[in-house]
Amino acid sequence: MQDRTETDRAVRAGEAGEAGGAPTAPPAVRVQGLWKRFGEQTAVAGIDLELPAGKFIGLVGPNGAGKTTTLSMVTGLLRPDQGLIEVGGHDVWRDPVEVKSRIGVLPEGLRLFERLSGRELLAYTGRLRGLPGAEVDKRATQLLDVLDLAGSQHKLVVDYSTGMRKKIGLAAALLHNPEVLFLDEPFEGVDPVSAQTIREVLERYTRSGATVVFSSHVMELVESLCDWVAVMAAGTIRAQGTLAQVRGEASSLQNAFLELVGAGSRTTGESLDWLGGDR
Amino acid sequence: MSVLDAPVGAAPGRDSTSGGEGLVPVFVRLKLTLLRNGLRQSAGRRAAYIASLVLALLIAAGQLIALIALRGNAHAGSLVVLLAGLLAVGWTVMPLFFPSGDETLDPSRLVMLPLRPRPLIAALLMASLVGIGPLFTLCLTAGSVIAVAQGAAGAVFAVVAAPLTLLVCVALTRAVATANTRLLTSRKGRDLAVLSGLLIAVGFQVVNFGAQRLGRAGGLSALDPVADVVRWLPPASAIGAVDSASQGSYGQAAVQLLLSVAALLALLWLWQRSLVKLMTAPDGSTLAAAEPNREKAGKGGSKLSALLPQGRTGPVMERSLRYIARDPKTKAAWVTALAIGLIVPMLNALQGTGSLYFACFAAGMLGMQMYNQFGQDTSAFWMVALTISSTRDAYLELRARALALLLITLPYTIVVTVVTAAVLGDWEALPEVMGLSFAMLGAMLATGAVASANFPYSIPQDGAFKNVAPGQAGLAWISIFGGMISAALLCAPVITVTIWLHVADMEQWLWLLLPAGAVYGALISWAGLRLAAPRTANRLPEILAAVSKG
Repeated sequence: MQDRTETDRAVRAGEAGEAGGAPTAPPAVRVQGLWKRFGEQTAVAGIDLELPAGKFIGLVGPNGAGKTTTLSMVTGLLRPDQGLIEVGGHDVWRDPVEVKSRIGVLPEGLRLFERLSGRELLAYTGRLRGLPGAEVDKRATQLLDVLDLAGSQHKLVVDYSTGMRKKIGLAAALLHNPEVLFLDEPFEGVDPVSAQTIREVLERYTRSGATVVFSSHVMELVESLCDWVAVMAAGTIRAQGTLAQVRGEASSLQNAFLELVGAGSRTTGESLDWLGGDR
Repeated sequence: MSVLDAPVGAAPGRDSTSGGEGLVPVFVRLKLTLLRNGLRQSAGRRAAYIASLVLALLIAAGQLIALIALRGNAHAGSLVVLLAGLLAVGWTVMPLFFPSGDETLDPSRLVMLPLRPRPLIAALLMASLVGIGPLFTLCLTAGSVIAVAQGAAGAVFAVVAAPLTLLVCVALTRAVATANTRLLTSRKGRDLAVLSGLLIAVGFQVVNFGAQRLGRAGGLSALDPVADVVRWLPPASAIGAVDSASQGSYGQAAVQLLLSVAALLALLWLWQRSLVKLMTAPDGSTLAAAEPNREKAGKGGSKLSALLPQGRTGPVMERSLRYIARDPKTKAAWVTALAIGLIVPMLNALQGTGSLYFACFAAGMLGMQMYNQFGQDTSAFWMVALTISSTRDAYLELRARALALLLITLPYTIVVTVVTAAVLGDWEALPEVMGLSFAMLGAMLATGAVASANFPYSIPQDGAFKNVAPGQAGLAWISIFGGMISAALLCAPVITVTIWLHVADMEQWLWLLLPAGAVYGALISWAGLRLAAPRTANRLPEILAAVSKG
């Protein structure tokens, strides 16, 4: 553990110099002293985060680490107990006009308007975002095509599979061309084909200079997609920085992660000795 | 793969005995454990369960006493037979509304267990007998046989008939539920169940009016012709057998009792058959819904959006209207409101006891749909919350929802008022009642908007009769009743003027209430929206949290 703490500090120190990218650009997201308690339980315990603009950023952590709570507060869907959150230099809670037009969100565990068809949902979202009808139509058609949803665009979302829901949610989040995209577990329950489609769209989107922040607990995915990682556990940030910085000397992100979140070498021992024995 | 598809008779001895007799206590214990764990989950649920248990027992005890008191009445035979028939109907329709009420009985959970159909059915039947419903039914059947049993033969038949009736009822409900499981677990089937709940609600009103008629017509003897048919239908025939035996017609009694036994066996066979099918055939609910032909639907949609205003108002109105047509909960609420809003003034008018003022009921019922606007969105409200960044946005959102509501409510109120006036022939009161209705509608929209912002609550999407998530019932009542009282108070100026014009003999000016009511209603709803908008804009996360429960 001692080693880890030192690496940790190194990662945090390194971040300011290297990962911020061009010194002029403000960070995509800046979080300071963020707290959230639900009754007795502390979901987020005073985190500080600085996510550089134009990167593919992974927020990783075990179940219950506070990823969803953090993303909800950053996107203005959950009121923090205290703390400062800025997106593109604008305070999320004091300046919602500036922030809400700049972000796209795909939350986890919240419904969509499921009694609309896929195309109707996009038309509704786009026009709520203030885009003209013809423009919404054009963008919706392209998004539905690219995300392989054109065949089921007239089906109600309630009849969609998990992967299709994630894709239509992603389309709705991208429709107004946001600067920062927040995705909570975008690949959870998604088949490999849909996952690849989502991946391609996101990679293309970040190449244009936009920022993607997504949460996941699948390390291989984060390792192959992200160039910047923040590790969360038990409501705190354990490390943040470029992939190489966070990985450190570990052989893979998975191992670095297990060490960071303090999941030691827990073995099953002899308690399951009957398993695989005589039947 | 289940072993259910193996022939039942081919079971090795060890399996069939251990599976057969051992299974009943396992399932009864499972049912009791599930019940206990369910009650442990929340104090509210515990309280609700105990309250309904006490209520059911009180009603059952009352019925039992009433039935025993009926002993010796000439029409007792008809009454108990009809009661048994009613119970059977109740048990048949119940699974349509409470599809997931009993987890022990959900066959899809048992698929992977090595169970054979016959012992399984016996165990499930016994487990079904645990609960408030069966207890209630047993009280009623016991009371019924006590009411009609005379002599030793009557008593013998009674001892068999009471539990037999209960068993037939339970087997009936299980057979229907299992046959419907696939329907009930698919989305379309549940939509259907929600709508049939609505039919019952509306039907109840009609039955209520019908019962009043019957009450005047001639009392219990009116029941005899119906009872003569029902006493031959199981499970009522078991109760009928007790009556027959008590009167000495043993042959008839035996036939009636055998009819019920045969029905029980037939139901168990049907249940077993559909259970085996259900556990070995692929699940229908996973089959993809056919891609609907949206050639014309697509065009209709674009036409609708072309007619509606631009900006935020259009899409919000469009979505609200689509939800009224497509979301089963919203649709059921609307159809109920529309039906009751029409039935109350019309039936009163047709019975000759009505007054045109009842027509205001339509405005009130429909205005109620403005309440809990965001709860109707469920957790999808986040999509709205993300696009509201100022008080202006919130105002436009609320106004668009009110406009969508008015698009239906305004013409409907006018039609109901005019038609009621035509039935009553009371054209003179039309302008003032219309004016009052408009004021009322405005007040309901205003209070509805304010209540939506301040007291949002979740509407669970499963189950036809669950309209509030557990723990939020108080909030819902505060919102609706507080709102209705405030709406009445807000209407007070218009009501006062109406009364004053009548009392002061200035009836020639009563027509002025039509424009006055309309203007007052418009102003007050505007004020309500203005008041609700900043609350909505400031409370977006709190509203989202409140509507995302359940």
